[in-house]
Amino acid sequence: MLKTRKTNSDFDGTALSLGSDIRESNQHYTRMLCVIFALLVMLGLMNLYSATDGNSFFYSQIRNAALGIGLFFTFGWLIAPRTLNTYAYWIFGFVCTLLAIVLVIGDVAGGSQRWIEFAGFRGQPSELAKVTAALVTARFFYTNKLRAAYKLSDLWLLAGMIGLIFALIFPQPDLGTAGICVLISVSQIAFVQVDRKSIIIVASTGLVLLIIAWFGLFHDYQKLRILNLFNPALDPGGSGYHSLQSLVAVGSGQIMGKGFMQGTQTQLQFLPERHTDFIFSVFAEEHGFAGAFLTFVLFGAMSYVALEIARQAKDSFTSLLGIGLTAFLFLEFVINASMVLGMFPVVGIPLPLFSYGGSAYLSVCIALGSLISIDRENLGLFRRVKPFGALASKFANKTLRG
Amino acid sequence: MKKIFRRESVVVENRFFWASVVLVGMTSILILRLWFVQVYRGEYYRRISENNRIRKIEIPSPRGIILDRYGQVLLGNRPFFDLAYIPQYVKDKETTFKVLSRLLHVPIATFEKRLQLSAGQPKFLPINLKRNLSIHEVSTVQSNRVFLPGIDISVAPRRDYQPDTPAHLLGYLGEINKSKLEELNRHNNENPYMMGDLIGKQGIEARWEPHLRGKRGYRMIQVDAFGRQSHLFDRDRWNLPEVAAIPGDDIILTIDAELQKTTVDAFRGKYGAVVVMNPKNGQILSIVSEPGFDPSIYQVGLSGEEWRALLSDPYHPFLDKTTGGEFPPGSTYKAVVALAALEEKVVDPQSRFFCPGHFTTGNQVFHCHIREGHGQVNMREALMRSCDVYFYRVGVELGVDRIAKYARALGLGQRLGLPLNMERPGLVPTTAWKKLTHRLPWAPGETPPIAIGQGYNLVTPIQLASLYATIANGGSIWKPQIVNKVVSHVGKLILEESPQLIRTVPYISPATYAAVREGLESVVMDEQGTGKRARVEGVRIAGKTGSVQVVSLKKNHNQRDVSMKWKEHAMFAAFAPVEDPEIVVAVVSENDSIGGGGASAAPIAGKILNQYWRLKKQRTPVAAAAAAAQTVREAEDSSNAEDPEDKQRL
Repeated sequence: MLKTRKTNSDFDGTALSLGSDIRESNQHYTRMLCVIFALLVMLGLMNLYSATDGNSFFYSQIRNAALGIGLFFTFGWLIAPRTLNTYAYWIFGFVCTLLAIVLVIGDVAGGSQRWIEFAGFRGQPSELAKVTAALVTARFFYTNKLRAAYKLSDLWLLAGMIGLIFALIFPQPDLGTAGICVLISVSQIAFVQVDRKSIIIVASTGLVLLIIAWFGLFHDYQKLRILNLFNPALDPGGSGYHSLQSLVAVGSGQIMGKGFMQGTQTQLQFLPERHTDFIFSVFAEEHGFAGAFLTFVLFGAMSYVALEIARQAKDSFTSLLGIGLTAFLFLEFVINASMVLGMFPVVGIPLPLFSYGGSAYLSVCIALGSLISIDRENLGLFRRVKPFGALASKFANKTLRG
Repeated sequence: MKKIFRRESVVVENRFFWASVVLVGMTSILILRLWFVQVYRGEYYRRISENNRIRKIEIPSPRGIILDRYGQVLLGNRPFFDLAYIPQYVKDKETTFKVLSRLLHVPIATFEKRLQLSAGQPKFLPINLKRNLSIHEVSTVQSNRVFLPGIDISVAPRRDYQPDTPAHLLGYLGEINKSKLEELNRHNNENPYMMGDLIGKQGIEARWEPHLRGKRGYRMIQVDAFGRQSHLFDRDRWNLPEVAAIPGDDIILTIDAELQKTTVDAFRGKYGAVVVMNPKNGQILSIVSEPGFDPSIYQVGLSGEEWRALLSDPYHPFLDKTTGGEFPPGSTYKAVVALAALEEKVVDPQSRFFCPGHFTTGNQVFHCHIREGHGQVNMREALMRSCDVYFYRVGVELGVDRIAKYARALGLGQRLGLPLNMERPGLVPTTAWKKLTHRLPWAPGETPPIAIGQGYNLVTPIQLASLYATIANGGSIWKPQIVNKVVSHVGKLILEESPQLIRTVPYISPATYAAVREGLESVVMDEQGTGKRARVEGVRIAGKTGSVQVVSLKKNHNQRDVSMKWKEHAMFAAFAPVEDPEIVVAVVSENDSIGGGGASAAPIAGKILNQYWRLKKQRTPVAAAAAAAQTVREAEDSSNAEDPEDKQRL
């Protein structure tokens, strides 16, 4: 099969004419995302209040939410997707630098080196890496368009970039975050045509690496967490304690829950990591199946709308960025919920907008904002308003491409 | 290979369809799982979460108090401190034990053993690592509790043993063992025993265990993940049940504490038993078995070595000798032979025999205890001076079976049924018995020793007391009674025991009793009597001494040189006052070093009798007041009884 490479400019001309045929009037996606975002922010803050008994964590999260909402609007209405496209590799470089700095001089907390402090701000660059992985993958396929199926040889640059992110996060150690970055990228690749032989090669090497990793790279606590998944009752006082107490918290909520601030597992501190990884157990315990079901529906709907936005996107970059951000939000939700429900090993994946943590909160807001900007781009709103994002894009086109 | 590429994008259109399938599918799985955990299994997890936060604290019930007949406390309770180990909340067993071992100077192995004993019980239940901590130990542990999660100090009311507590009478407590626990709990689900519970092992504590133990209470408390009590959510729906412990019932004995004290003091240093009884109803006033043991050591727990020492003691400190010790009655048995002889008209009270100091039957010669002989003696003198030859002759004429007939009629050779500790029946030998057990015919030479209470004869101290009570009251055999009343902790009468007449002795006429009583009185009251050391001023006392040769000794052998094991048993049984007997004392002193019954046992009885009359004089006004109170109470009762009628009238 002949491989045909085309430049970006080949597509640019046709994009406009084709777009209007397929497009429907779907401005309500923006509205829906805003409503879901608002609901989740409120539920998340309310729940964190209960989980932390209204201590400083809660007020710190209020500040995070304020910043996050600001970023949500900035990325949604001011920065056009093509600006992100333009600066994708710069952003990648910036985040990788931050990750490298973390590895060298980062703060250690809870046995992991994940934080850096700069000018009074304390952040976790690995959270930003998730969005960066989506961005860089989208940009890669935008730059390297193939009509034919991609082969392994075509993807080495992408593999190298994602591998770098993984390599910088994994030694913190943080298998969960490193893994989710790879998963986001893999979800995006799943939407493009990849050579079957390459898939088999990658899959088999992956398997071999996994086996090597199990015996060589994984820490004992990581192995234990995976093993505990199969039988949390095996050692309830030890490593299975988290899973078991989480299940007990969720299950004991029953249908209507124990009531706000009335969760015994939470308030009497039987539930570990109440304000971070196991925040949803708190919610499920206090609001029961009724509340937890509603939240699951909200997350599901958010992901579905995000996927729809990606489907409506006109070019490779917006489409793949939309897919990547959808994958980011949905994977975090699914993995965290599975973990809370005892279906997945305990990995440090926060629940978007619920878990305490500034960087994670901001990353989610950026992701949701960007999805809105993609929707607005789909609707052609950025053209009419000509915000500085669009201006910046033009400027970038002129300067970078000559 | 044709694929529909979407517009200018590299994205494959149909992948979106699969993506939505995955998205909806995974969300549905999560919702299903959520339903399973919260709705289907919700009840189960709710229970676990309740178990997490609710801890049941057992409240031990104080055991019932044991009182004497006048309400004086014989055995009460006071609070003790224990070291409790709550497995659920212990973070690191090794470190905890190491710290505790250093603080309390107890080897780690002891703790480990305690833990093993309680293996298998729920993890929130505390395990006693060490009982009865001193105040110093309590404060040491308390000040280090930060380093000892899961370690607690618990307070429990426990037996407060005073010095000279009559160990065999009251008994002791011991930790229940696993098999006993299962056995007792099989039919008792309402108030089950638990590991670590103390139960009565002897005496009143064991016999009245079901009444004394009371009913355990409990309290539900809410705890947080670190085992600390929490008062969160104190609203109506979290109201936690609390059930107070019900103290055990109090047991009021027939014992007179003051007399008991005197008895213990009088018998101090001797081995054997003393029983003091009221011949009119069989109520026991004081009872001692020596050597005793310290019942408090069981609350602390004994080491194996201490156990072995106690068990291998040749005088069997655990044996209650009042009912479980069998002794040859010696000369105290002569009263029985005298009764039989008079009733069978073998002799009459005035018949005289000559005592040359020895008695020959067949080719055997039996000596009197005075080698020179007593000369001419009648029944009264024979009893008074304890002439053996007189009774040899009477006994031979009666024959062993006729003696046995009267002995059995008087209650010997059978259990009297004192509900306290293991009781032995004693032994009244007959020809039939010998044939059955020894497969030999009765030899004529065996009868004379029987007539003076030696040979095969065996009686227990309680039988000896009962025998003299029967002689004193003229033929009634009362069942020995030790418990008067059982009263609940609020004073409600639960059970009252009344004196029980086993039977009236057949065959023996009142005149016969009177004649023997006359002889027995002279034993104490006559200047020549062997029991004159039991005298109490102003009281007519009757009794009989006895000295039992354990092995025959050469006449001029100095008894003080003989090892304990081979010394004489000194016996004395007495009742008083002769005109209307109200107290019987039986003293059995094993291997006594001082001498026979007259020299050693009689003074002990004398001290007890003396105290009895001293107390009686003291108590008379009190008794009068009590009687007055009784009439007032009866008046109140009758007025209460009239109440319903009054109401009806209204």
